[in-house]
Amino acid sequence: MLSIKNLHASVEGKEILKGINLEIKPGEVHAIMGPNGSGKSTLSQVLAGNDAYEVTSGEILFNGEDLLALETEERAREGIFLAFQYPVEIPGVSNLQFLRTAVNAMRKHQGQEEMNAAEFMKLARQVSKQVDLNPDFLKRGVNEGFSGGEKKRNEVMQALLLQPKLAILDETDSGLDIDALKVASDGVNALRSDDRAILMVTHYQRLLNYIVPDQVHVLAGGRIIKSGGRELALELEEKGYGWLGVKDEDEAQVAG
Amino acid sequence: MKPAPTLSSAFLTPTGQSLPQPLLDLRAQRGTALTDMPLPTRKTENWKYSSRYLQLTEALAGTLPAAGKSGSALAVSGYHVVFHNGIMVPEASDYPDVDGIEIKRFADLDDDEARELAERLDNTLDAEAVQLARLNSARFEDGLLIRLAPNAVLDQPLFVISETDAHCSGSAYPRIYLDAGRHSQITVVEEYISHGDEPAMVNAVTEFTLADGAQVTNVRLSAEGENVQHIGATGVRQGAHSRFDSHCVGFGGPMRRHDLQVRLEQSGANCRLNGVVVTQGKQHYDNHTVIEHVAPHCESEETYRNIAADQSHAVFNGRIHIHQDAQKSNANMSNKNLLLSTGAEIDTKPELEIYADDVKCAHGATIGQLDETSIFYLVSRGIDRRNARTLLTMAFINELISQIPVESVRATAQARLNHFIDQTFTEA
Ligand SMILES: Nc1ncnc2c1ncn2[C@@H]1O[C@H](COP(=O)(O)OP(=O)(O)OP(=O)(O)O)[C@@H](O)[C@H]1O
Ligand SMILES: [Mg+2]
Repeated sequence: MLSIKNLHASVEGKEILKGINLEIKPGEVHAIMGPNGSGKSTLSQVLAGNDAYEVTSGEILFNGEDLLALETEERAREGIFLAFQYPVEIPGVSNLQFLRTAVNAMRKHQGQEEMNAAEFMKLARQVSKQVDLNPDFLKRGVNEGFSGGEKKRNEVMQALLLQPKLAILDETDSGLDIDALKVASDGVNALRSDDRAILMVTHYQRLLNYIVPDQVHVLAGGRIIKSGGRELALELEEKGYGWLGVKDEDEAQVAG
Repeated sequence: MKPAPTLSSAFLTPTGQSLPQPLLDLRAQRGTALTDMPLPTRKTENWKYSSRYLQLTEALAGTLPAAGKSGSALAVSGYHVVFHNGIMVPEASDYPDVDGIEIKRFADLDDDEARELAERLDNTLDAEAVQLARLNSARFEDGLLIRLAPNAVLDQPLFVISETDAHCSGSAYPRIYLDAGRHSQITVVEEYISHGDEPAMVNAVTEFTLADGAQVTNVRLSAEGENVQHIGATGVRQGAHSRFDSHCVGFGGPMRRHDLQVRLEQSGANCRLNGVVVTQGKQHYDNHTVIEHVAPHCESEETYRNIAADQSHAVFNGRIHIHQDAQKSNANMSNKNLLLSTGAEIDTKPELEIYADDVKCAHGATIGQLDETSIFYLVSRGIDRRNARTLLTMAFINELISQIPVESVRATAQARLNHFIDQTFTEA
């Protein structure tokens, strides 16, 4: 489904991704872990098409298609979904209006009828319950004044509404309390199917108890330096990243 | 050195004489006072961004004729008074005749009423500051007088529709004077529209006086055509514990100017001024507001938003003047501006003058563009770029539009905003 080959990307002239290789097949769940600043969000944003990041070489195939040739909105319509590490607040646009516009853009692309306000309201209420968000949140501005955890659940809600083929979850578990983590994980698990894939960025192996990955990768210094099964996450939790020869930039400075 | 240009005497010659004598006298007197009035230039402080748009050609000096037919294209239900080129059209108007609420055209006033009105006209406005709007008092041919007795309440909004019919060149001078008695309540909707393609100028003045406890809501929609220059002024004086709510929605034109002056003269008065302006193409719009906190314990809350697209130009100048005796004043002013293109220009200037020491006064002005991070978030959900930009542009003013308390005006404003969006975001 997703095939990343020797991907290099930079931001403001600084190279962040230095040759990423990654293969994800339909039905699989991959987890990416790694130190702060190692490039996990950069990879996520590049996949979604944020042009603040410049791809300098390499290729990304999505279901055989050249993903880099597509605009962000086209990627979304082809089934790429990114749950943002930092969801954006947009006061003045109601969450409901935002979600309906997105769902209808998707439906239009798939040749389906657009949903009217009443139909959509019904669906949205249902899905908001699924992620344990009070339907009142639909009336508020997009993420406006939402707590960290509420923003993350709103991202999962969007994934459930848009039913992507590849869901990229950038630290969707960060900032969630124990109950919310369960709720969000249930939401993500509801997305799992043979024809979908999930790529999740996380710092905590706890999430992987709920959403069991097929593979775990360690991203450090812009490269995937180790891949393994679920047990790799446990090992990382126990030992940190040091044993892999990774030094946090700050640590390096202190040490140096 | 070239002498400063002055207002051509052709502009000081009214045409119609069908007003009661005291008003004719007032008009003549105001006209004389304007003889050789210097026209605003770049050097005129409160016109410096706008003087270049002013085109007071001789062709505009004559009064636009009041044609017989009018009001046809308007789907107004509810109370309405139609002015056509500044002259009221009774056949097209429909308003209530109820106890305590007097609605009369100037032309129908008897001499006593006219004398009383003549004494009060212009009392709400600072003549120096409004400059060109003073011309209205030298030229009006008719007008609307609204008087509310104490405790009178008009149960529905009163629409005052000023149509400019520019099938030939000329100018029109719509005029409204409202006197709200103690604890009376009214909503007045002013709509300025036009048809015809010849160059024209509208010079409109509206005045409100609010006695103690009166509540007046004013919605002002300025939406004439591309051939019409608009110079308007609204003056307000407020008694104790009165409340004035203003919602101004302005669409750009070749030259648009609105001065809004509010005087909080007695303790406990409060006003809320909301304004939305959108400009595109080579359009212009200039809002100048002044809030005078004269008495203690008054509140003012002002929120203006400008959106400028293409090569257009929007101006906001908001002055808050807190007088020495106005202790415990509470004044808030916010002006946010959105530039939709690099060729557009917005000038904003908050001016605070505070002479009392125990006051709360906050102001903020920003100029920005659509936020790229927000656009990315929206398009990452499959929403196309044009829609994303539309959502964000509307988000900038939605709150103010939704606060307009008259449903049909919200709809009219929204329809015009949609048109603005269609014209501005042409690419897919
Ligand atoms: N827009 C940007 N402008 C400048 N530098 C950036 C930008 N985005 C990312 N970077 C830099 O790129 C590096 C990688 O950042 P990225 O956000 O991908 O890290 P991350 O692995 O997601 O970290 P975290 O675990 O803290 O979320 C960091 O050094 C960061 O400062
Ligand atoms: Mg990150």
